[in-house]
Amino acid sequence: MHNVPKVAEWILRRLVPGREGEIIAGDLREEFDARGGGRSWYWMQALSCVAVRLSPNRLAPSGLGRDFHFALRMLRRNPGYALTAMLCLALGIGVNTTVYTLVDELFFKKLPVPDAGRVVAVDRAGEDMTCSYRDYQEIARRTVGAGRKIFSGLAAFQDQPTSLDTDGVSRTVMAEAVTANFASALGLQAQVGRWFVPEEEARGAEPVAVLSDGAWARRFGRRPDVIGQRVRIETQWYRVVGVAPAGFISASPPHASEVWVPLASQPYARELLAMPGERDRPKVRLIGRLAPGVQPRAAESEVRAVDAQVWREYPRDKPTPGRLLVAVASGTGPAVRPVAFHIAALLIIVTGIVLLIACVNVANLLLSRSAVRRREMAVRQALGASRWRLARQTLAESLTLAAGGVVFGLMFAIWTNRLLVRSMPAIPHLGFVTLDMTLNWRVMVCAMVAAFASALLFSLSPAVEQSQPDLTPALKSEAGGLRRMRQRDIYVVAQVALSLVLLIAATLLVRALRHAGDIDPGFAMDHRLTARIYVSEPEYTPETGRLFFARVLEQARATPGVLAATLSYAIPLNFADSGCTATDLIAKPKRGGSDLIVPGYFDAMRIPLVAGRDFAPSDLAGSPKVAIVNQTLAARYWPGESAVGKSLWLGCDPKRPRAKAEVVGVARDAKYGSLDEDPKPFVYSALGQDWVGFMAVTVHTAGPPAAFAEPLRSLLRGLDANLRIYEMAPLEEMTAQSLWQVRWEASLLGSLGLLAIVLAAVGLYGVVAYTVAQRTREIGVRMAMGAQTSDVLWMVLGRGLRLTAIGIAIGLALSALVTRFLGSFLYGLSPLDGVSFAAAASFWIVTAMVASYWPAKRAARVDPVVALRWE
Amino acid sequence: MGEAYLGEFEQIVLLAVVRLGDKAYGVPVRREIEQRGGRGTTVGALYSTLDRLEAKGFVHSWFADPTPQRGGRSKRYFRPTPAGLQALAHSKSVLDRMWKGVRLKGGADA
Repeated sequence: MHNVPKVAEWILRRLVPGREGEIIAGDLREEFDARGGGRSWYWMQALSCVAVRLSPNRLAPSGLGRDFHFALRMLRRNPGYALTAMLCLALGIGVNTTVYTLVDELFFKKLPVPDAGRVVAVDRAGEDMTCSYRDYQEIARRTVGAGRKIFSGLAAFQDQPTSLDTDGVSRTVMAEAVTANFASALGLQAQVGRWFVPEEEARGAEPVAVLSDGAWARRFGRRPDVIGQRVRIETQWYRVVGVAPAGFISASPPHASEVWVPLASQPYARELLAMPGERDRPKVRLIGRLAPGVQPRAAESEVRAVDAQVWREYPRDKPTPGRLLVAVASGTGPAVRPVAFHIAALLIIVTGIVLLIACVNVANLLLSRSAVRRREMAVRQALGASRWRLARQTLAESLTLAAGGVVFGLMFAIWTNRLLVRSMPAIPHLGFVTLDMTLNWRVMVCAMVAAFASALLFSLSPAVEQSQPDLTPALKSEAGGLRRMRQRDIYVVAQVALSLVLLIAATLLVRALRHAGDIDPGFAMDHRLTARIYVSEPEYTPETGRLFFARVLEQARATPGVLAATLSYAIPLNFADSGCTATDLIAKPKRGGSDLIVPGYFDAMRIPLVAGRDFAPSDLAGSPKVAIVNQTLAARYWPGESAVGKSLWLGCDPKRPRAKAEVVGVARDAKYGSLDEDPKPFVYSALGQDWVGFMAVTVHTAGPPAAFAEPLRSLLRGLDANLRIYEMAPLEEMTAQSLWQVRWEASLLGSLGLLAIVLAAVGLYGVVAYTVAQRTREIGVRMAMGAQTSDVLWMVLGRGLRLTAIGIAIGLALSALVTRFLGSFLYGLSPLDGVSFAAAASFWIVTAMVASYWPAKRAARVDPVVALRWE
Repeated sequence: MGEAYLGEFEQIVLLAVVRLGDKAYGVPVRREIEQRGGRGTTVGALYSTLDRLEAKGFVHSWFADPTPQRGGRSKRYFRPTPAGLQALAHSKSVLDRMWKGVRLKGGADA
């Protein structure tokens, strides 16, 4: 006796329920026994029943197929109407799809590795990095392999901006320093060469690197002989051993890593790892592959237990860190998430409004269609069609429109996706962000859900309207009732109000940018060209480096057209550094801004010294350490006293001795990190007493600064042909980067606002034109009775403007409620800025005039005789 | 609605039901079609056709008690209705009339 395939029978009984399924299962059992087996035969038979059962004819309630058939025919007969509606929807759905793609990319997309659902990121709540490298080793020892097996592989990595040189071209890039098991834990293959092997983590091993696909293409033209080539990252040379697979950009997309190196071979990490007592550095993030059968939730509690254990065994004089979080690795890391979240939320709201406006437009169209078809509907209803039946017909039409909207919308989205990628500002710290904005099924499902939700929304109004019980006026071909006019008016008002909110928000941001331009940064940035250069070991020691810098300044100052030249570690409003200060040796140090400069910096940057003196060439390593502070720091530590002559202790690290410095000057406050920041304490140190090889040269030019780029480059190359030169740009451009987010948001909001206005104007035009068509007879009568053309013109225009006025009033009130969410991007501009509100409102009034003018003109041309003969 | 016309497969299924008399339930019907009609069919296709015939009023069905060799599941028996028999007769006469005098080149004639 054979047994029937249990799964097939279960599927059959599940999908063909009740007695029918029982009968069929019985038949199949009987035949199965009679023919003595045949599992595949049984499967075939069972599936044939399921297929019949699930066929669309069978599933749809009777008549629904006919509804869609009818809907398609209606749309084919009115292509203009159908196309307008679909295009309106497509615009709304298109921009929404782009935002869904962005959200998917930022938060949901898994890593492009095999079986990505099993790859998890281990992050620590409230922190950018998960744990120290030493703790990682402990955690890995206890969770991978023997004993409690949670991960089949657990890797550590850290990503940081660094500089990569190939063939004399230096560029700031993102690099990931990883453990040797990184690729095996993630299941990554190299497309050329190989990934790292454990021996390359050993002390004294030759430094090796794996390039990204992009780096291979850009820097080596995809040549296969890249293996064995040497690239330089900061102070060290690495031999290329492999190229990462094409789709893989980093362990925390959308940040794109240019290169991977073994963490242990990085000079800084190597130094820290060599210190026996150092448990807290370097910091790493963890990523791993779950062992078979382990769920993320279970892994999380296990890992937390292990983490607590490690923390108990190696106690530190620090508060217990936040809890570990284990989640399938997807999207941005904890450091970028807040910014990404803010942008995504803003875009979702704004594109949602655009879609809403598009929906209202379609509802309006459907409404005027239903007005035309009132007679038809009334006849059908009189003949016995139920209200539900008619409503279903409208719904079928809406769904068909929505389907068309999705198709066009997705096509539109392909274009807007590209536009968004291109609109990402090309600045270094965002340059590492590589958005992969291709549509996937998750995004498409979201777009479809949005479209069908919209369909429900806009089919609601005609359905409600049609189901009104009184048929008599409709059968008598009486023109539209008061009720419908009101409904349409409400739509127009809503559209005007919503699009005005977007317009006001965009205007506010544009005004805020202007406003930011008026903020005094506290230093001069016009006519200044800045270049970042890097002078490092082994070519330079601090002594030869200082000499090199001195010659750079000397030669630059001697160049005709150069008024001043200076050096600094930080670039204001572009690249900030921080340091700690304290007024005595034991006080808790306070963090503030810091910079390393040369004598003459304050002069060159037009930052006045309010007390004391500038650094002098004699402030050298051997002489007493000196510091210059800003007004805020001076006022905070020594209120009411002169800061000059006081002592300041510099340094954040509790394990290293703090350096004592004498304050020799007080500089006026400036903006350091961003234009809207509150005054913050800042301390300057002298390059002569402290050493960093990564410095920015700024020259003050008489002419346009950009014209001095080539001379400066050749000057630098003349002093050292192999000098690493990074970005070089007018200081004004570099500082403008601090405004990128506002600029970007203003341009996005602006273009979406414009789209919203176009949609709303189309809606307004439609309503006014429709009114004119409805009132042709009335207008004819009025003109026959002696009304002037201008009277009629104003009557129609007045109607459009009245609706607009109500919409504007509501829009202004709404804006007053929501603009405060832009708060931090307004650079001190009031969220209720009158100029922005007034400008946006008047822009809408002009738009409304234009949109109602054409129908009004048509109304004014009505020939009374023709209009009256119409009946 | 004029005289109902039966599709080819509908005719075959209905004829099988007629031929089997009071033994017409799923398994024998399928076997009859397979052996006499010389064509295989799936359970899904068979039941969807039988359902359609019943909806048109050409067959009548009822459920018999469960039997142990079917795993304790009941059978569904079918019987042609007078309208079904009439439809069959009509289909046959249509076909007969159409075939009258037709000779296919090199093929069997009616």
